[in-house]
Amino acid sequence: MDMVSMGLLAAMGALATVAGASEDLESDVGSQSNPNSQVQLAAQVGHPHRIYNKAISGEPPSNALYAALAAVTASVLMSGYGMNAFFAIAIGAVAAAIFNGIFSVTAYMGRNTSQARFNQYVYLDVLRTHTTTIMAHAYITAFCVVTISYIMTAPWLPIQHPFPMPLVAFIWGLAIGAIGSSTGDVHYGAEREFQAYPFGSGLNAANSGDIVTKAEAGLRSSIDNAWFCARFGGPVTGMAFGLTVFLDNWRTTIFDPATQGWLAIVTGVVIVILFNIYNRILEIRSKKRYGPYPEYAGDIEA
Amino acid sequence: MSVAAGGGESKIDKTKLMMYGLGGGVLGIYLTHVLNTITGSGYFSFLAGLGVIAAVVMGSDAVRRVCSYGIGTGVPSIGLMAMGMGLVAAMFGLSIGGVAGPIIGIAVAMGFGYFVGLLANKIIKMNIPVMEEVLMTLGGAGAIVLIGLSVAVSGEISYPLILESVVNTGYIAILFIAGTLAILHPFNANLGPDETQDRTLVHTISTGALAMFAAGLASLATIGAAGLLTVVIAVIIWIKSFMWYFALVKRDSSGVVGTGLLPEGGL
Repeated sequence: MDMVSMGLLAAMGALATVAGASEDLESDVGSQSNPNSQVQLAAQVGHPHRIYNKAISGEPPSNALYAALAAVTASVLMSGYGMNAFFAIAIGAVAAAIFNGIFSVTAYMGRNTSQARFNQYVYLDVLRTHTTTIMAHAYITAFCVVTISYIMTAPWLPIQHPFPMPLVAFIWGLAIGAIGSSTGDVHYGAEREFQAYPFGSGLNAANSGDIVTKAEAGLRSSIDNAWFCARFGGPVTGMAFGLTVFLDNWRTTIFDPATQGWLAIVTGVVIVILFNIYNRILEIRSKKRYGPYPEYAGDIEA
Repeated sequence: MSVAAGGGESKIDKTKLMMYGLGGGVLGIYLTHVLNTITGSGYFSFLAGLGVIAAVVMGSDAVRRVCSYGIGTGVPSIGLMAMGMGLVAAMFGLSIGGVAGPIIGIAVAMGFGYFVGLLANKIIKMNIPVMEEVLMTLGGAGAIVLIGLSVAVSGEISYPLILESVVNTGYIAILFIAGTLAILHPFNANLGPDETQDRTLVHTISTGALAMFAAGLASLATIGAAGLLTVVIAVIIWIKSFMWYFALVKRDSSGVVGTGLLPEGGL
């Protein structure tokens, strides 16, 4: 393990942390993925709203698309036209952000139009204000993910992954979407959409779709979800993705996959076991401290 | 029909869509191959992209039909499954068939789809009447999309060339996922009780154009400046279809407003 490999590993971990945070905030501004079903349901249970409804197939496939598109564009510019990697990846990320914007706009229009019988309008100012925020976050995500893929595959750098860059970016895109969907969305979905209900009460099926449509002043839109989720959901997603990228590459940096492959595999298994034990301890501690709720004592006065 | 999943009446018959999808897709792929070979250039690669748009319209309508049975969250899954079946069959067809590869690939994909549909209905007992037929259509659409986009990038039907320019370069990643989203996104995005077939299918033309655009971008590195033609035509189709889609949104929506409060009863 030389200093260059260690430095690259640290850079990849840092890039992944930023990418994870921006990915989660991007999906939260648009209410993509898990919280989306509640936004979709809201109008149907009598709560038309001004919240963005970005239904793009779940986060893993959509992020795989942005990452792959950015990587292909960068790869074409680098291999076909000899462009510098930094600018090529930046241009690729712009292409990905534009695709993201197009898919977001059509999803918002389509979903809201298909709720016409419930009086759900299509608000063009929501589109104008939110889509740019979404695209900006998507740009950061795509840039970071493709940079990680470039570091992993560039022929002049030590890692030299055997897969071509677009394929590596595609896989990291799937991974970041899956992590963003499972880690960050929980914070947005339970805490933001249902903040009218007592903290920690869970979501009763009867309350489905009864989301908060009014804000501190005026009507709630999704634009301040980035502010709200940047406090916890975004950073925690960043940490999850950063750790994934860092630990996964760390074990193959300290152990050479060609000669010490089995040691790298064993290290991976040990890491998974350690995380399982840690999660179990965390779960037991949380239950002891905050729950369980043996009987319902009525609504708590706010 | 499930209200949650939506899916109104079909104005355009599925047989007609299948005919255009299969015919257009195969025609586009072969025209690209023949004209590029005769002229010795890559300028006709955009025709394969046009064929792909015809095939995604067919696939998207199939997604719409099966998902109207209440498979709400299954929309992305079924799109990915279509593409998975298409990818395996397309590569199989191309590897054994030579120039006849696309036909073999599409036929195998459709057989594959029918078999998976049979399994879903008879073994897992999903009992969705259109399952076999829909998965057969989706398999065919997936194979056409992958072969079409691959040919748009490589310039001709040749397995070694496709391996070199599409698979080894990793461009297959964007062809796979852009093609998948082109098929599944339109119904997913328009899902709801007031979904209409023409709006979903016009939306499909625009997502198909985006897949064609992505293939055009990749082809800039493989067939050079000729790929620019694919990119430009895809952009024109996208602009036209997006404007058409927006017009249909205005037609179907309860209101497209610049800004404003919630409708009466909303607060």
